[in-house]
Amino acid sequence: MALRRKFVAPVEAVRGGWRITLDDEERRLLVRLMGELRALLTGPDDNELLRRLFPVAYPEDEEKEAEYQRLMREELVASRLAAIESVSRTIDPAGDRARQLLDEGETIAFMQSINAIRLVLGSMLGITDDESADDADDAHSPEHNLYDFLSWLLEWTVRSLSPTT
Amino acid sequence: MPTTLEPTDTMQPVMDPDLDDAVFLDRPWVVLVWNDPVNLMSYVTYVFQKLFGFSLEKATELMLDVHEKGRAAVASCGREEAEMHVFRLHEHSLWATMEHDGPPS
Repeated sequence: MALRRKFVAPVEAVRGGWRITLDDEERRLLVRLMGELRALLTGPDDNELLRRLFPVAYPEDEEKEAEYQRLMREELVASRLAAIESVSRTIDPAGDRARQLLDEGETIAFMQSINAIRLVLGSMLGITDDESADDADDAHSPEHNLYDFLSWLLEWTVRSLSPTT
Repeated sequence: MPTTLEPTDTMQPVMDPDLDDAVFLDRPWVVLVWNDPVNLMSYVTYVFQKLFGFSLEKATELMLDVHEKGRAAVASCGREEAEMHVFRLHEHSLWATMEHDGPPS
């Protein structure tokens, strides 16, 4: 990541929408990650990496939980896939380059999908509590760097979307 | 292949009038959000503001409860509404659960 990035917001609320300032390499990386997340979501339900994306709603009631998952899991998968499609469409450097600005829904889809990938990476990296989160801050594997990049991107996205009151 | 309909348009409330509900109908359901070190504090605060219309101050207070106490109650309401909140929190990948407010007497 170029140093100049520290001084250019990658996601910024501007007149008429949200501007994404990422170079083609970063965009291609995000499109690739979206593809990997899509593959994970359409794969086996019991993948441990999906645990954080499909939390338990009724931890104290097995019967209600089974019914909730039966009715809602597919909706949640559909919602996540729709967000991924939106991001892939709006971020892809090989796509419609005229799309410099995202609308609010597309920016929220961007935010949700980036966070979903962070959660999957967090599980891969064994981040389960504040202590392991601190350890991760000090680690420098490629995956940790990717996690940090996504955190940086998410932080700016949240900032661009946040109401100020 | 799942559809890409808006989840809020197609959400079906769970209709399950079991004994538990009949006996404790008057007790509201409480929606809890639990701490996950992966979720950024600013992100959690933003989601609380967006989904519940909380002020920045209120959303920050609840986020700090999640961070420091391990969990926070973000809504207390009927079961259908609580399920809707839980679903929307799950859409944002927050670790949300729901339970009856207070232990059964």
